[in-house]
Amino acid sequence: MSAIEALYMFDEHNNPLLEHTYAGRPPPGSTLLPLYLSHPSPRPSLIYLPNTNPPTLLYSIIQDQLLFLSPSSKDTEPLEVLEFLHRVADALEDFLGAPLLASKIEGHYHVVAQLLSEMVDRGVVSCTEPNALRDVVEAPSFMKNLLGGVGLPSSTPSSLAPTPTPFSLSSRASPRLGPSLNPTSNTSPVPWRRANVRHTSNELYVDIVETLSVTLAPSGLPLAALANGTIAFTAKVSGIPDLTLQLSCPGGIANAVELPVFHPSVRLARWKERPGDLSFVPPDGRFVLMGYEVDLLGPTALDAFSTASDKQAPRLSVPATVMVRPSLGPSGTDFEVLLKLNPRFAGGKAAVSPLPSATGSSFPGRGGSGGLGRGLGAGFGRGEGTTAAPSIEEMGVHVPLPALVKNVTDLRASRGDVTYAPGERGIEWRLTHKEVNMLMAGDRGGGVGVTATLRGTVVGQDEEGDESLEPASTGLTSTFDYDDGSTSSYQAPAQASEKKDESGGADARRVKQNKTLMPSCATVSFSVKGWLPSGVKVDSLGVDAKRSKGLGAGVQPYKGVKYLCVSRRGVESRC
Amino acid sequence: MESMSRISSMLEAARDLTLEAARDASAARKTSTRVLPTAQLKKLLDSRSERDVLEGLRRVVTMQYRQPPSQTLPFFTHVIKNVASTSLPVKKLVYIYLLQHAEHEPDTALLSINTIQKSLTDQNPQLRALALRVMSGIRVPVISQIVSLGIKRGAGDMSPYVRRAAALAIPKCYALDPTTEPQLLDYLSTLLGDKQYFVTGAAVAAFLDICPNRLDLIHPHYRGLIRKLVDMDEWGQLATLRLMMGYARKCFPRRTKKIKKAVNSNPNSKTAKSAKGFYDSDSESGPEHEQDLEEVTLLDPDLELLLNACRQLLQSRNSAVVIAVARTYLYLGTPDFLSSAVGPLISLLRSDLDVQHVALYNIVQVCLLHPNLFVPYYSHFLVKSTDAPQIWQLKLELQTLIFPHSPPRLQSLVLAELSHFSHSGSLDPALVRESVRAIGRCAQSSVTSPKTSARCLRLLLAHIGSADAHLVAESLEVIRHLIQRDPDNHQTTVVRLAKHLDAATSPQARASIIWLVGEFAGLDPQNNIAADVLRILAKGFTDEAEPAKLQIVLLAAKVYIHHLNANPPPEQPKQAEEKPASLLADYQDEGGFRDPHLEHPDELELQKPAEKPHAIEALYQYILLLTRYDTSYDLRDRARVYKALLATPSSTQLASLLLLAPKPVPHTPSPSETRKGYVLGSASLVIGDEGGVGGLRGYEDVPPWVKEGQEPDPRLREEAPSSNPYEGGARATSAADKLDAAASTSKAVVMGTSPTRSLDGLGVGGASGVAKKEKTLDDWLAEEEEDEETDEESEAETEEETDEESEEEETDSEDDDETGRLVK
Repeated sequence: MSAIEALYMFDEHNNPLLEHTYAGRPPPGSTLLPLYLSHPSPRPSLIYLPNTNPPTLLYSIIQDQLLFLSPSSKDTEPLEVLEFLHRVADALEDFLGAPLLASKIEGHYHVVAQLLSEMVDRGVVSCTEPNALRDVVEAPSFMKNLLGGVGLPSSTPSSLAPTPTPFSLSSRASPRLGPSLNPTSNTSPVPWRRANVRHTSNELYVDIVETLSVTLAPSGLPLAALANGTIAFTAKVSGIPDLTLQLSCPGGIANAVELPVFHPSVRLARWKERPGDLSFVPPDGRFVLMGYEVDLLGPTALDAFSTASDKQAPRLSVPATVMVRPSLGPSGTDFEVLLKLNPRFAGGKAAVSPLPSATGSSFPGRGGSGGLGRGLGAGFGRGEGTTAAPSIEEMGVHVPLPALVKNVTDLRASRGDVTYAPGERGIEWRLTHKEVNMLMAGDRGGGVGVTATLRGTVVGQDEEGDESLEPASTGLTSTFDYDDGSTSSYQAPAQASEKKDESGGADARRVKQNKTLMPSCATVSFSVKGWLPSGVKVDSLGVDAKRSKGLGAGVQPYKGVKYLCVSRRGVESRC
Repeated sequence: MESMSRISSMLEAARDLTLEAARDASAARKTSTRVLPTAQLKKLLDSRSERDVLEGLRRVVTMQYRQPPSQTLPFFTHVIKNVASTSLPVKKLVYIYLLQHAEHEPDTALLSINTIQKSLTDQNPQLRALALRVMSGIRVPVISQIVSLGIKRGAGDMSPYVRRAAALAIPKCYALDPTTEPQLLDYLSTLLGDKQYFVTGAAVAAFLDICPNRLDLIHPHYRGLIRKLVDMDEWGQLATLRLMMGYARKCFPRRTKKIKKAVNSNPNSKTAKSAKGFYDSDSESGPEHEQDLEEVTLLDPDLELLLNACRQLLQSRNSAVVIAVARTYLYLGTPDFLSSAVGPLISLLRSDLDVQHVALYNIVQVCLLHPNLFVPYYSHFLVKSTDAPQIWQLKLELQTLIFPHSPPRLQSLVLAELSHFSHSGSLDPALVRESVRAIGRCAQSSVTSPKTSARCLRLLLAHIGSADAHLVAESLEVIRHLIQRDPDNHQTTVVRLAKHLDAATSPQARASIIWLVGEFAGLDPQNNIAADVLRILAKGFTDEAEPAKLQIVLLAAKVYIHHLNANPPPEQPKQAEEKPASLLADYQDEGGFRDPHLEHPDELELQKPAEKPHAIEALYQYILLLTRYDTSYDLRDRARVYKALLATPSSTQLASLLLLAPKPVPHTPSPSETRKGYVLGSASLVIGDEGGVGGLRGYEDVPPWVKEGQEPDPRLREEAPSSNPYEGGARATSAADKLDAAASTSKAVVMGTSPTRSLDGLGVGGASGVAKKEKTLDDWLAEEEEDEETDEESEAETEEETDEESEEEETDSEDDDETGRLVK
């Protein structure tokens, strides 16, 4: 069952970074890498290589531009391997600091080696919890300084007196010691939490990130609008705290939040009983507490789709949308992209002020709460998003182009920078935070929002190709005259143009031909701080004093909440 | 769930900049890890100072990752010397080095064994576990006995951490020396019953590695394992679910109850049916009953225990666990269970791209069997412009799969979606092709209403005039399939297509249309346009591209042979006149087909039939004449073939066979239909038949359901009320002995195949031996004599076992034949 046979890592230039063999004799990385690269991009995460000896399944992920490969000679569960690779990346990041850089790995091979040998034992994944790993592997010293000297207390284990041992796994899990050490957790000991956590400043941060994915039909009606939420939690609290996080949402959490996924620490029964309540003993450090999704259109979206379009059916509030108008101009080679910004996200004063802490926070910081800028104060909710004035950060529009397009000329944007190089498969149009603000300032409060436009002209393959096609088609139409039925789709525009002059007909044909050069959609990327499309918010975050342990009496940790809405080419408009 | 790194990259805006900087800097980075000269490094390693040694080891480990082993091997003795160091960091690095290099220097490696063995008794459990791991990891077969002893010691260790290391060491020891198996199985069965969930997880993994068929070891721990399932770590859960898959199939016969109402359409019960039919012929449920009766699955309570325990795992953050649960439900559970797994499956689409890709394959697999469950999640299947080809391919397939089961509004949404990608999606020719095919699949589904089918066809017909050659060709291909499936209802479609000949510019498209017209030439002789189309095409023959020309010649041949068949030349030419005449008459009102030139010869023909050849014949000859001077070899050759075939108008039999052979109705299954046989969650499912028919190496199919009556006694799973949960060596070993004996027979019972093992009677005793403490001592005394004759080994066994054995004999009436054989 040796699922993991080896792990290979390559840096951003595909230079080998490390090779760690766990079981068997898998083909070396130098053999596998060219085979992997020979696959056309985007490469699937599982590639079958029948020509290696033995035939190999190659799993791959790319994290922070580093390539992780894992070969397998047998049928394994693909997701098991892929999840493992992600865990390796997470663990390395946890130990070496984010983001994961090739130079960091090169500087700490001894740590990486220990980690990798702890995580897998002859192909069997044994331990991937970063906290548990911290118990057995010493983090590099710069991390130790950062965390205030935690880590392994001793370097001479054999002579160490078996006091309440520093190795949490042993002390916690041993049946006799377990209960005495862990009287609080009723169900299980805490395999995901490091032992003897001690922090001088106790802090708790909740970051809720929602990724928007909206598809708009050519008519502007939303076909689908999903927000994928993730709650990232950072716990820097001493002892074994028992936390309760309450989420709320207009319309009720149970109705809005679908398909939740939880960190193993979350008590499922509690959530089922009272949706929105997350009760858990956190691991030390940063982790993903929960993932969920919200269907922003609601269950009735389908009805709205086919009914009359004038009834603005689903109310969807998206910071920015885009519209593409193809086939403009006399020969249909021009197109126009309209970027529409929602005036709600003008940002207000906070957004204009250059203080990053202020813009970054939806809670502009209560006076006495420690001045961190993210204190979770009296005004817990942000009340319909008006107090926080969410603002749009950097914004980008991507217009993918068909392969036939050779060049785009006359690219003019009313604001922002446009980057396009001939032959590329897409146009990038970027607006900085400042430009967005300037645009927003131009809004007269009409409630319709502000727009920016981008115009361009596409140039197809080559002009003579067009010419050569044309006589052929006209020749055919003139020869075959056995049918002049007006039902055919082709004839219709031709007839219409016949009423005009000759050139009009030619144009119509050209427009039709150029249609294949037109972009068929555009996507918007942006990030908005302090606003979530789903409206989910943190109601309260409490430390259960009775069930927690080792926190110290009267210690009230700092709490901070951050909301972030991200769209990575997630808002897509078709045309 | 998305990985932490991905989330933090969203939260940290500066991250991208850092990455950029690192990228730029990486060119200059190479010098950062300078390699020390060998002598200096050796000096470091030999140093007395712990710091120097550590530094030296770090450098060696760095070298080990960057260079081939030949570079680091010279340091072997210098490194190994440090194994006795008291410093934990030094020890760890030495161990890492040792694990990678021991194989190359087995003799020197042996020197370190003694020190490592000493560490097995260290006070520090972490060190004990480490020592055990390293000792078992050194691939030197000589030490197998020492390793085995070490495992024995570790299995009884107080620290669960060490016990887990012992569990993980078992397969390694087995690989070193397979003869240690009996001892190892002893340890394993102890560890399987461990109270600590993360010990059992590792034990299950070890079990799957060395003896996946020894289910008898599992019986007493079955319920315990299931209880611990929720608390295990993800990898333990995966191993356990994998184990339970096979276990449940082999131990819980599929029992079904028949009820009248048609509520349940569970394919699992169908599998059960087929399995049953395969295994026993005397089953009371004859296939003839099954038509009107619906089957409802009756779940074994123990199986239900498993299925319910899995429910909690559906919210796991590990995608592999979710898939494993879905697999359990699909192959073991009922539709109710499966439907609860659908949402979590969909939630996998939120994760990273690589996971998403694999998850989609699994979703498609489930969707092929239960499409209706996925309808509410349609919005997840909409294709985005950012999707990679492998992603949108699967998404399109999902759309077509749920299409027949969707409400009308969703159907129209899906069609709109598909047509969007089919015409404006010239982004990627493959996407155009796939979406057109998807429309075709939507239309041909048996559930689709004729109206929707017609709509699909309209969508496709609208594409014919497009300037995009890919689109036209693909659309026609699909239209052709649709028409061929139901020729009678599509005559008008063919006429419409023929009209589109004007619009179609791509040679492939024209060829397709012409072929279709030819296919339909004989369908309704009184009312056919083929001859007319041929006439019009003949005019522009020279301007056509080669593919179209080929089809025109074929069309000419077909039309001609239909003509010949309709009116055999020698008998009477009168009939021949009727056909074209009526044809023209019919099409007069439609216009466009009427041609004075053609009418004219007809009239002429009427007047003097014998003199001039019939129009069709004339056309045919004309086309042949044209092809004769064509530049294409292929075309000329074909024309010659047709000419030869139709040389004698009186004998058209051979030509009819060749030209008018009925074409098989094309069936375009969903692309993943070919993978349908693969087990959910396997790599073979993702790779498909590319990995060889029957899956990749190591692929295991789901075992068939055990035949009713051949399953092991359910009482085997009853747990012994163990008084001392932390029992160590002695008692555990004795239990293991019993299990060991039990193993062979219960296997015989389960599998029904163990000809090698013919120990009389032992089987019965063994199989029952596990469900100990059910019987009182009196029972045992009462049955003692019987035992002695049947089981010579029973004396050596403990009392619990022997009484069980007799118990089995009295009660297991369903095992009669089996028992009889074994006893004899």
